[in-house]
Amino acid sequence: MAETKKKKIKVLVTKVGLDGHDRGVKVVASLLKEAGMEVLYLGMYQTPGGIVKAAIDEDVDVIGVSYLSGEHLVFTPKIVAEMKKNHLDDVLLVAGGTFPVEDIPPLEEMGIDRVFRAGSLTNTIVQYIQQNVKR
Amino acid sequence: MGNVIREEKKEVQIEGTWDDYIKSYYEKPSSSKSWSGFDLKEIYTPEDRPHEKYQKEIADSGTYPFTRGIHANMFRGRLWTRREVVGIGSPADTHERLKYLSEHGGSGLNTIADVTYEMGLDADHPWSVDEVGLTGVNITSIKDMETLTKDIPLDKVSWSLITASTAAAVTMAQYVAVAENRGYDLPVLKGSIQNDPIHFRYCGFRPACPLDLSIKLGADVMEFCTKELPKWYYTTVNMYDLREQGITAPQEVAFGFGIAMCYVDELIRRGLDIDEFAPRFTFYVSCHIDLFEEVAKIRAARRMWAKLIKEKYGAKNPRSMQFRFAVHTAGCSLVPQQPLNNIVRTSYEALAAVLSGVQSLHCCSYDEPMCLPTEKAHLQALRTQQILAYETGVTNVADPLGGSYYVESLTDRIEEETLKVMKQVDEVGGMEEAIRTEWLDRKFESEALKRQKELDNGEKLVVGVNTFTTEQEKTTPLGVQRVSGHSATQQIEEVKKLRRTRDTDKLKEAISRLRDAAGEKKNVILPMVEASKAFGTTGELLGTVREAFGYPYDPMETVESPFN
Repeated sequence: MAETKKKKIKVLVTKVGLDGHDRGVKVVASLLKEAGMEVLYLGMYQTPGGIVKAAIDEDVDVIGVSYLSGEHLVFTPKIVAEMKKNHLDDVLLVAGGTFPVEDIPPLEEMGIDRVFRAGSLTNTIVQYIQQNVKR
Repeated sequence: MGNVIREEKKEVQIEGTWDDYIKSYYEKPSSSKSWSGFDLKEIYTPEDRPHEKYQKEIADSGTYPFTRGIHANMFRGRLWTRREVVGIGSPADTHERLKYLSEHGGSGLNTIADVTYEMGLDADHPWSVDEVGLTGVNITSIKDMETLTKDIPLDKVSWSLITASTAAAVTMAQYVAVAENRGYDLPVLKGSIQNDPIHFRYCGFRPACPLDLSIKLGADVMEFCTKELPKWYYTTVNMYDLREQGITAPQEVAFGFGIAMCYVDELIRRGLDIDEFAPRFTFYVSCHIDLFEEVAKIRAARRMWAKLIKEKYGAKNPRSMQFRFAVHTAGCSLVPQQPLNNIVRTSYEALAAVLSGVQSLHCCSYDEPMCLPTEKAHLQALRTQQILAYETGVTNVADPLGGSYYVESLTDRIEEETLKVMKQVDEVGGMEEAIRTEWLDRKFESEALKRQKELDNGEKLVVGVNTFTTEQEKTTPLGVQRVSGHSATQQIEEVKKLRRTRDTDKLKEAISRLRDAAGEKKNVILPMVEASKAFGTTGELLGTVREAFGYPYDPMETVESPFN
């Protein structure tokens, strides 16, 4: 029954740099799993290069990055650059956490497909991924 | 299999239709449970709270078991300390903000370390350079501590140093070194240091906080301060951060006490008498959004701590039994949607803190779920405290909710539930074991998941999130606080310069004495003070001790010790 024609969406979620707020990212990982996706949580202290390497090795459809320490504008361009270098154009890049609303347009310009701020409900995230996964 | 995300019970309401308006008129509260999930009755009566237990279980404020407060006259004796947390960019930027708040009526200084400092990394560490100053202040050497404390009379102010990890030992040493260099005698120093490395592994600082080293360095600070800084509160066991993981009120108290007892046990193992050190033991407590439950929680915590210190540890001095605490209003209760509402949430939470007889209070600024506080937001948070203190009259009477059938009954209930959780911890072999086996991690994770599901299915309502939602705002009302990249670059350059110009021989000697002390399991704070005076850096001091305990010099395993 589970082996239907459509393969499961595979999502990599991760922290980057030293930010240790991991309550949200772990909750999101569990909830995406419950929604039927295959989820890989990389854990804390990841580097942009390491994240993208894991995304390639694991052949994921989505990368989700959790930012809660104001580091989003620093690390996003680095992650996007690594993705471009490795031709991951068909991988959906989403971010979640705490940022001012003013930072959403620049984050999207940098290459994040969708930003979920604190207070996002699970079905918003699940539906977005289901409807926008690029491959 | 399949989609198990439950449908929301309530449809998300969009404001402004007449149907909703009519429906609202007949509306009942959607839940009759407390935030932590207790079923509540419609009304509480004398049946729920027999008065004969008054002397033994409640008693007047200032009297054991201190349920009603640790001082007889509470705020009539002294207002709580209005202490807003500050930490932004460089030590100089942070100093500026401290000055600003003190000029506007703040009554206690409170500085917070950034992620790099908490991890024990110097500003020029490869993992630091992108993040210096983003979430607080990095102190790499005493030069930074000098900048932070410049012109501030350290014998007059009360300073709360928020370094929680094993780096707290270094912070204490740096503060003491600067104070001594400026000619102060240690006994005049007043303030506190968070110094709760055990809890900090749950805030993302696990590499910096292995359990044995956390107990060792945490206790070193406590022992040193007990002997040398009699006016200093040497730990603020951080129940707040635990609560922010998503746990309930009784779990907050139970896990906080569990961690506190790890330190108390260690100090007793070292031969200190409970009455020698317990009077300077303090806690950091959350005040979440359920006002009565939070008041009951703190009253229960006060009673339970008093009993624990008296009955389990045999304290004789009533001051040892007093549960002293600061409150941080619950950051995780705030949301970026319709952000000005956060001011209201924080006000209720601050009210809970004050009705509970708080010693020191930090109110979150409304922009907490978005960025570091702007100057205006910071000032507004301080104003929330001042309105409470100067306008509302809540300072007049000690424990004003004491004797409420409901609050007394809820206090008993929280005590009962907390004892149950403490028993669970005992059953897995005690707190150290609960940490080692990651039992506690699993608790945090399962509770956090429950909290999100409660939001998803509407069991808990949050305005702007799952009810009364509106379109996303385009701007943050009082602007956005940015951290100056220039400040970070400058601090990094300063550190590099310091490394080139300091007296290497003197430093090597100091580091070698620190290494010996650590190797011989002696208290390392004094050797850390000497190494700080020789311009040893945070990473060097902590790394040296880490190596002596068999851990990599650098918690991120990137940098090697320059002293080997």
